[in-house]
Amino acid sequence: MISEGLVTLAVLSLLAVVIVLSTLIVLIRGVRSHEQRRRERTAEPVRGLLFELLCAEGDEQNRLLERLAAIDRRAWSALEPHVAELLEKVSGGARTALIRLYGLRGATAAAVTDLTRHSAVRRGRAAQVLGRLAHTPAVPTLCRLLDDRDPEVRRAAARALGRCRDPAAVPYLLACLTGPRTVPPGVVTHALSALGPEGMRSVAVGLDHPEHLARAVAVEVLGETGAVSRTAEVVHALRADTHAEVRIRAARALGRLGMPDGLEPLLAAVPPGRPVALRIVAVSALGSLGAVAATPRLAALLDDTDPHVAATAARALLRLGPQGEAALRSAADGSRPDGRAAAHARAALAEAAVGGTRLDVRAEVAL
Amino acid sequence: MSAVDQAERGWPLDTLHSLLALCDHVVIVYFLAINTVYLVLITIALAEIVRGLRRAPFAGHDEAAASPFTPPVSVIMPAYNESAGIIEAVRAMLLLRYPVFEVVVVDDGSTDDTVAALRADFDLAEVEYVVPDDVPVRGRVTSVFLPRGGPVRLVVARKDNGGKADALNAGINLACYPLVCMVDADSILDSQALLAVAKPFGDDPARVVASGGVVGVANGCTVVAGRVVEPHLSKNLLGRVQAVEYLRGFFLGRTGWSKVGGLLIIAGAFGLFRRDAVVAAGGMDPDCIGEDAELVVRLHRHMRDQNRAYRIVFVTEPISWSEAPSKLKVLARQRRRWHRGLTEILRKHRRMIGNPRYGRVGLLALPFYVLFELLAPIVELAGLILVPLGVLLGAVNVDFLWHFLLAAYAYALVVSLLSVAVEEYAYHRFTRWRDIWGALVGVAAENIGYRQLTAWWRLRGMWDALHGAPRVWGAMTRTGFDPPDRAKEGGGDRA
Repeated sequence: MISEGLVTLAVLSLLAVVIVLSTLIVLIRGVRSHEQRRRERTAEPVRGLLFELLCAEGDEQNRLLERLAAIDRRAWSALEPHVAELLEKVSGGARTALIRLYGLRGATAAAVTDLTRHSAVRRGRAAQVLGRLAHTPAVPTLCRLLDDRDPEVRRAAARALGRCRDPAAVPYLLACLTGPRTVPPGVVTHALSALGPEGMRSVAVGLDHPEHLARAVAVEVLGETGAVSRTAEVVHALRADTHAEVRIRAARALGRLGMPDGLEPLLAAVPPGRPVALRIVAVSALGSLGAVAATPRLAALLDDTDPHVAATAARALLRLGPQGEAALRSAADGSRPDGRAAAHARAALAEAAVGGTRLDVRAEVAL
Repeated sequence: MSAVDQAERGWPLDTLHSLLALCDHVVIVYFLAINTVYLVLITIALAEIVRGLRRAPFAGHDEAAASPFTPPVSVIMPAYNESAGIIEAVRAMLLLRYPVFEVVVVDDGSTDDTVAALRADFDLAEVEYVVPDDVPVRGRVTSVFLPRGGPVRLVVARKDNGGKADALNAGINLACYPLVCMVDADSILDSQALLAVAKPFGDDPARVVASGGVVGVANGCTVVAGRVVEPHLSKNLLGRVQAVEYLRGFFLGRTGWSKVGGLLIIAGAFGLFRRDAVVAAGGMDPDCIGEDAELVVRLHRHMRDQNRAYRIVFVTEPISWSEAPSKLKVLARQRRRWHRGLTEILRKHRRMIGNPRYGRVGLLALPFYVLFELLAPIVELAGLILVPLGVLLGAVNVDFLWHFLLAAYAYALVVSLLSVAVEEYAYHRFTRWRDIWGALVGVAAENIGYRQLTAWWRLRGMWDALHGAPRVWGAMTRTGFDPPDRAKEGGGDRA
């Protein structure tokens, strides 16, 4: 049996906690409001200088930079979020001025130092800042952060490397897709795609990577960036790679590259028996390719047992122009108007008639 | 008590006396345990929220919004007699910040002019359509509409009435993207909502199969063009109490469970799922009234049975808003329905309860739901009857009882206040001081009458499930928000 004294003690303790919590709630609100007003007051006088800096040139810009570099720490911490926001929005001279301001304030050097701090939050924030500044001298350290023990720091480092646009980071980005400390494929693909044409030679080397995920990402990036000079390698990936994920992304890449060389391997990827996801993507890519030579094969697929393949084939035919449309009409008015092929053909034609074709039939495709 | 007293009272009364004393102790322990579990969950949630807030500057939301590699989403919106608010709801959905997504509205055989309103406003044209049968659908899809001109990513389907789960199944079949987001037609999403709830899929694409978002109480909020622009607490006491309840149970409780790996409920008002995982699990169960939670439990079961590594997570950012009942009658129907759903789910998946094969879900989460959710109304109402009876028969000391009741009330206050404090620290959505006072009033009022009433309604819900009462969704009478008014009467009736 619990003693009454113990219960009384519990009541008193709990009531004390209730009072503390209620006070805490009010205090949190009060302190936050006060802090917000203080930050606004502090940032107000220097915010004007910041906007002047964006428009200034030559000596005027230097003068403003000196003034902004000399503001006290409190004013800088109130202003810094605005500077960071502007960095994402401006380009050219204005962006260069903001980057110089970070340098003059010592914020860039501090971020570089923070990359090796014990605190994961500081490392992550530093990577974010350096990426925003596209600070290429930090690339080697950022590459090391791809193996950081904290997954969010690794992701921040990968994003920063994409913004730095240094092709030297490509092997590291591909390597971080596998192993005990990985970065998600979507983040790596985005980072690699941001490198632009300069990085594509290194990315194409990734097609021979021993890990399938690295090959899949490499082929996806080549398609996304329109690396038409790499079509032969992408075709090879579709024909010969042992992993379905790589072949699926190669098929998608060929559709995006839009080169005639992609036709034959794509046609070879669509017959029944291949993975459904590969067939759907390959059929869609045939539509993107716009090759009328694919018309008979696509028309045959209207009767496919998989409704997603058939629906994609119908929509791909629409993208082939008059010949594809004629094939659809023929299927719609064919000998079996109640059959699968006729239904898919009529559906695609109806969508086209209202101009609302759903081209992105990707439901069965892996993320 | 002397031996003479016992002898005078006789053994039947003595046994009753002992039984009452035992029951009262069970009630006491139960009350302590339920609040302690919530305290633990809130503490876990607080740690998770602080961690998320500190990392928010490098979480990569902006990059995800601009990346062509962010997985596309099909937003599925089932609708039944929603003509009053459907246009604004769809417009708001179409304006969400997300790289690639579509909105699939499934009209579940409305008897009002929901489809006509959509046709007129979005210039929809009926098209012939082949609907895949990836998951079984009871009510046949009778027509599909697409917008003329095409740039609007909207599909509207009309089907025979079959219930919300059936409408969602039709939406899953119509969806063309790998992620499906299930929302209620009256859900109000923040513009970043999809980005926030899709983030776990981008961060861990191989394992995450579902993610749920926070649902806040929209009563009292200012809503403009389908967005909450000024979150406020309801002026109505019932709304305030529910806001506190949502904070503790739905926001912090689920955040805690997500961290533990035992999240069982993703609100039907806003959840994102891998389409292939949902299809593999068989889609929504139209025979279960709590279809949203049932799907999550079934996903756990399916993934564990397949020995697949997976995660079901909860996103803590405040992102979705729903209007809570502002009348007792409507609240009663809602709670009865919820508890019936819970009972059905736990009955259906009873083999998972306490089963080590299902890991933390089987050993922690499901036993918690049985003990502290399913049985809670029985224990609470039993306490209401047995404790006074114990006092009357002298089985419980009155002074002790008063002290205990005060302690129990204070403990519950501590748990709820902590929830409000965490919200105020982390997201501080409510900007006015009067909302803070309102929340404190809600905290104080929750355990006086409200909790006991909901216990009664939940008990009736359990009874409905056990004796197989007809499934009726009931009317959700909406009162609308501060201007512009979204008042709707009678929307949401569902067979």
